[in-house]
Amino acid sequence: MAETYPINIWINEERYKELQAAGLDHLLKEELAGMKVLVVPCTAEQRDKILKLFPMAKYDEATTKSIELLPKHVKDKIYQLCVARKRVDVIDEFLKSVEKG
Amino acid sequence: MEYTGHGGKPLVERVITDKAEAKKRIQGLKQVPASRQMATEAIGLAYGFFSPLEGFMKKADVESTCKKMELTDGTIWGIPIVYDISDKEIADYGIKEGDTVCLTYDGNPLAIFEIEEIFSYNKEEFAQDVYGTKEEKHPGVKRTFNYKDKFLGGKITLVNEPKVREPFTPYFLTPRQHREKFKEKNWIKIVAHQTRNVPHSGHEWLMKHAYIAAHGDSPVEQMETMGKAISGILVNCIVGEKRVGDYIDEAIVLTQDELRKAGYFREDIHMVSMTFWDMRYAGPREAVHHAIIRTNLGLTHHMFGRDHAGVGTYYHSYQAHHLLMSIPKEKLNITPIYVLEWAYCPHCGEVTCIGLCGHWNELQKFSGTKIRSIIMDGVKPTRLIFRPEVFDVVMETAEKYGFGSPFVTEEYLAKAKPAFTIEPL
Repeated sequence: MAETYPINIWINEERYKELQAAGLDHLLKEELAGMKVLVVPCTAEQRDKILKLFPMAKYDEATTKSIELLPKHVKDKIYQLCVARKRVDVIDEFLKSVEKG
Repeated sequence: MEYTGHGGKPLVERVITDKAEAKKRIQGLKQVPASRQMATEAIGLAYGFFSPLEGFMKKADVESTCKKMELTDGTIWGIPIVYDISDKEIADYGIKEGDTVCLTYDGNPLAIFEIEEIFSYNKEEFAQDVYGTKEEKHPGVKRTFNYKDKFLGGKITLVNEPKVREPFTPYFLTPRQHREKFKEKNWIKIVAHQTRNVPHSGHEWLMKHAYIAAHGDSPVEQMETMGKAISGILVNCIVGEKRVGDYIDEAIVLTQDELRKAGYFREDIHMVSMTFWDMRYAGPREAVHHAIIRTNLGLTHHMFGRDHAGVGTYYHSYQAHHLLMSIPKEKLNITPIYVLEWAYCPHCGEVTCIGLCGHWNELQKFSGTKIRSIIMDGVKPTRLIFRPEVFDVVMETAEKYGFGSPFVTEEYLAKAKPAFTIEPL
């Protein structure tokens, strides 16, 4: 399986209910004493595009092996796409929307 | 009273507190403006944080530190403390070896600098020796390459003490003041927890582990009774240059203090202070440097966890431990306490040490990055991993000091007031 470079979106109670309604709650991982996280996978190419579009973000190679420090509004947009499309492989669509402006 | 600092030498204190005396001593001296970093380090030198250094290093000590990790007299030393200056500034201010000048900061007199030497040093060699790399993406290497053309070496005497702003005011203590506090508390064994972070419960348990290790074979009755403790934890927050994504210093200092205020540490065994220092991210060498600073603060033990003062993947997880272990005991006057990570085990239902728990495959490791991600997503972490009182202080400091974020943003870098100022003499 190709390596993926995830974006972790942490889920509060309100979002958990939205994800349940969207039938996506089974995709949630549990970490750190019951915290729920929606893992949105990126390919290497998508990762590189994201890091170029959002230079404040970084790929944390050392510990979490995930894309971190994305602005909240960016992660919110990715989350909303996941709920709308009822799936997590939404990064291509997300990137197209950002590139379109 | 004279105190002993690193290297078994008297604690340096080169501070003129009498304003009239200070004004007399700087009269007629050329005034040379110091950068923020140089001003911060001049203050550190004068108060004895970098004892036995009495000033900025001369070339021989820089070379000896780089090549052998010791000063020319054999005292262990991790990171050169240098004053950089451009050729233009040397010409503009007419600086020569043998000059005594008055460093200024914020437009006001700061310190007397007796310039004994002007020298060059190969920055690539400096970087490779201290950081183990010449890659400019290493922040310490970048800082080295950004040093100006030359360096000045010589003694520093502070003539104007820094005014530390709120909320930091009660937390900034000089080495002497630390020792006096420890005496007031009757602390004999004091373990340092070095931090640039808001504490999650993994950090909290590391501190508790280190406290018990430092207390060691002293009688337990000396831990049992409130007010009778002979051991303590000093949480010494490093306050210095920030990067976007770091926690703001206000959040770090106030949340660390909140752990005691909210009762997660007993009142008489825990204390928070801060030290001005721009992190070099030098990993093992910086671990040595931190050990030296805390020796000068009067501590007996220093906790070192995974990848101490590291960045990215430049250093192995316990490389700092190995370097510290290689130093002969008589050359380092502080006892390292090596701590393993604590993690959450869903099987145990608690936070546990990874060296103790048998449920290896189930452990959920803490990560500062993960916690930051959780907070940035606006989610309150579970109380097992992040104390709710600490979370509340994080949110409060975000509003009060962080322009809405507990993390350093471009706005914070542009608008936050400096932690200290130098007022007119």
